[in-house]
Amino acid sequence: MSELAERIKACAKGDRAALRAIMYTEGSRLLGIAIRMLRRRDLAEDAVQECFVSLWRKAHQFDANRGAAQGWLTTILRNQCLTMLRKESWEIAEDAETLERRQDEDIVMDAYGRLDANSDLRRCLDRLEPPKRIAILQAYVLGYTHGEISGRIQAPLGSVKAWVRRGLIALRECLS
Amino acid sequence: MSDERSLRDVAMEVALGLSDEAETAELEARALHDPEVATALEQARARLSELDDTATPEALPDDMWSRITAQLDVVPTAIAPGSVPQFDAETDTILPANEPHAPRNWFIAACAGLAASLVLALALGWSVMTRPDPTVIAVLINDTTGEAVAVVEGTEENLTRVTLLGQTAVPEGQVMQVWTKPEDDGPPVSLGLLTDNRGTALAVDGLPPPGPEQLYEITFEQTGGSPTGLPTGPILGKGLAKEAL
Repeated sequence: MSELAERIKACAKGDRAALRAIMYTEGSRLLGIAIRMLRRRDLAEDAVQECFVSLWRKAHQFDANRGAAQGWLTTILRNQCLTMLRKESWEIAEDAETLERRQDEDIVMDAYGRLDANSDLRRCLDRLEPPKRIAILQAYVLGYTHGEISGRIQAPLGSVKAWVRRGLIALRECLS
Repeated sequence: MSDERSLRDVAMEVALGLSDEAETAELEARALHDPEVATALEQARARLSELDDTATPEALPDDMWSRITAQLDVVPTAIAPGSVPQFDAETDTILPANEPHAPRNWFIAACAGLAASLVLALALGWSVMTRPDPTVIAVLINDTTGEAVAVVEGTEENLTRVTLLGQTAVPEGQVMQVWTKPEDDGPPVSLGLLTDNRGTALAVDGLPPPGPEQLYEITFEQTGGSPTGLPTGPILGKGLAKEAL
């Protein structure tokens, strides 16, 4: 079992020192992901805080046999960020609409560009048509909804839903 | 399209973050008990997780640990099933609670004392105030039939009144259990059981006041309630709360 998995198990038994250790080793990685999704440092810090509180409460559900500890933790954070985005999307959109349209594109292409050129994910994303690839990246990296993708790439909602669905199937088949 | 294929594609959609909240919660709840679902979800997440590693790490603020610990001290607790008072709609009064079931494990044992004091407080409180005004109301809809099956009213103090609409066919040996999700991305929390197949008032301590868009749900569970503390059975109905004006 990984050190992180051991510490999550310790959290389930009420060991706060283990939680603190996880915060030190994983916290800045999680905050980086949250800032990229939420675009605002204050909101991202809230998300990370909630993530660690959830970790503490859900630690008993963690099963090391079922998957990687870091992925489990990242999922908690991503779900927290998505919840905040869905709840406050109008608020963020107001600031973001004019200022950050360009920046959003940069963030997505930057994430894509940083993927290891030899990785399966990179190779399989490369094989998708650009609109499908961008839609999938926007959803994952920025937490966009179908509606937001449709607005940003100026395509009808129905097409975006179809692209995402087909893109995901192609991606899954390519990766397996 | 085979079931396995659609399960894997749904899992990809959940991992991507594009499925709606209810769908995500349902798949995650299933994953807790169904290894096949758990594997599909885990694989989908692992495949996309490489993108998380492309974010630039950022230093945590110095007060992060104190912010986290401040929240740890507020622990939500669930009430032991069977130990809540019954609400009699005809006379508009609280009937005395049943004897709590024999504690099944340490957790319920720990809750029993809390439950007893709650019952007392609730009976006193309700008899003085009679019907407290609900702050949220949710209409629970059955996904298959599209019909409204129950109305859930929640007060600021987390008294929850459940009114069943029409006759409900409860499978032999099962009981209806009421759930809510106080935190959007948190686990469902049991509000209690609908014993005798009828509407009931339920009380739970330690939860934040219910708010708009909070999910309520009734599932069929084995007698005594879900063995895991999370919904495991088929969903009778679910719905999101609206503010009561």
